[in-house]
Amino acid sequence: MLERMSSDLSQRKQAAEAILFLEARYLDDKEWDSWAGLYEPDAEYWAPSWLDEYDTADDPNTQVSFIYHNSRSQLQERISRIQSRKSITALPLPRTLHVISNITASEGENDLIVARSNWTTHVFDPRAQKQHLHFGTYEHVLKPSDGQLRIARKKIVIMNDRIPSVLDFYSI
Amino acid sequence: MSVHASINDLVDDRPGDQAFHVARRAFTDPAILDLELSHIFESTWSFVGLTTQIPKPHDYITTFIGRQPILLMRDGQGHVGCFLNTCRHRATIVCPFKRGRQKFHVCRYHGWAYDSAGKNTIVTEMDDGQYPPSFKDADRNLLRVARFENYRGLLFASLSADVPPLSDYLGDAKAFIDLVADQSPVGELEFVPGEITYTFDANWKLQFENGLDYYHFNSTHASYVDILNQRAKSGTSGPLPQEAPDEMEGQGSFSFDHGHAVNWSIKRQSRYGRPLVIDPAYLAELKARVGETRIKWMLRQRNLTIFPNLQIIDISSAQLRTWRPLAVDKTEMTSHCLAPVGESAEARRVRIRNYEDFFNPSGLATSDDNVMYEFCQTGYEAQAGNTFGHLRGLANGPISPSGHAQELGISPVESAFGKPAFGGETNFHPGYREWRRLLQRHVDGGADA
Repeated sequence: MLERMSSDLSQRKQAAEAILFLEARYLDDKEWDSWAGLYEPDAEYWAPSWLDEYDTADDPNTQVSFIYHNSRSQLQERISRIQSRKSITALPLPRTLHVISNITASEGENDLIVARSNWTTHVFDPRAQKQHLHFGTYEHVLKPSDGQLRIARKKIVIMNDRIPSVLDFYSI
Repeated sequence: MSVHASINDLVDDRPGDQAFHVARRAFTDPAILDLELSHIFESTWSFVGLTTQIPKPHDYITTFIGRQPILLMRDGQGHVGCFLNTCRHRATIVCPFKRGRQKFHVCRYHGWAYDSAGKNTIVTEMDDGQYPPSFKDADRNLLRVARFENYRGLLFASLSADVPPLSDYLGDAKAFIDLVADQSPVGELEFVPGEITYTFDANWKLQFENGLDYYHFNSTHASYVDILNQRAKSGTSGPLPQEAPDEMEGQGSFSFDHGHAVNWSIKRQSRYGRPLVIDPAYLAELKARVGETRIKWMLRQRNLTIFPNLQIIDISSAQLRTWRPLAVDKTEMTSHCLAPVGESAEARRVRIRNYEDFFNPSGLATSDDNVMYEFCQTGYEAQAGNTFGHLRGLANGPISPSGHAQELGISPVESAFGKPAFGGETNFHPGYREWRRLLQRHVDGGADA
């Protein structure tokens, strides 16, 4: 019994790890469409602001977020803006490198997996020859769908919230 | 060359000769930034917060005016005070937090304490301190800023006493603060919780100009305009404000004394929605209260700049942003979603979504501005003489007759109006005149002689 539970846990963790690492790779490789494809059509994508030194916003309808989207199409809007070559933020696009660790996975309701992890993104801007680092925590809610996991919800806490110039989906 | 002549040369202000130029050096010379910090930021009125940020006794917030740390507190009697956030003993900041509620602020270094009215209540081990007799009678309270006043709940402070009363300083720019505040059923403004701080590697005056710059919108924000058009086509924009058929479309600005200015536009069909039009019942109620003319102006895009470092942008949402220079080529921005107290939950939700959509380094428009400032900063290093950056609108003279000012009952020192693609730049001029006046005042005062 204990073995069985431990095996479930390890399978959940492996599955969560696989999709988190795949997401990071798509972002860093600028495979935006594949990245958006990891999300459910009604996925929630949320990077809350900080209310003070200690607490992040907990209600996107009454408090400010850096980014709050509640559909995949809003992520695709951001992608189309980058791909249009009309946004100066993407001319040139910075190089990014996501590193994700400390992943834990627990079982949510209805076969959902809730994965928590720590992340850093190294961002290098080849225009300005400058680099910065963002770091924080992710909370992914993963949903089995058509035989694979998709992201139903992602909450991104950005610990260092004094932002140099530009913050977009690829830099967090 | 004397400092005086040098400052004079930085702004070539000859509108009669169809000339207005700001020297590239004004954006790149660290010595000029030092003068700006001392004689502009730390010598004139600065926005420091809203009364609604500290609604209860002993509430406080901290901020900066130029380089100087500031503590705003509401005392036990409900009076708001504005103090330099520095212990009278050894200069330590007495409050290291952004905001909170405390009856006393105790300096962590040696334990001196101050109450929420700024009064020094404890000098640790004073009796054993062998202080000279004069110490006991000395005023050891937190130092108040030289001037502190409030307009419609917007708190302004000045570190110099040599400023006009706030009401005179703001002048007719107040009408544009009123147009935001009067959208509230109780006439008050508040910040939606969640302050965003960001930086860009460029001079602060690029932000000052950008807030008044209608001309850049379609080019800098081309990718955002595409998104707005796409949303309109797919029907996801929500209700959009419209102008009456007899209103002439166009783009204009008003400039006021002391460097303030506002740019605005009249569009038959707005490209973005607004919290006010989400709630037709409240809009009707508001119309009955403030009248047809003011409602019309409340629904127009208005970008207000209060010199030197406050902008209130009332478009699809409302933003209040301030800045402080960290270096000649680095600026720190603080951005708030500004909201009328008492709006409906749905209007508030739309306001927040629209704010995130447009503003901040994570928004789909402001992020492009930030990068553009950095492009300009790099470009200003070129020793390439005058730019043609401040000339649009100069052909028309200081007042272009349009009737809009009369409608609002204001008397701007300059006004401009043109076709929708006008994008006038003369509304930057008063800011540069105030900039030069404050820098020259210091030189004329002989402080640097």
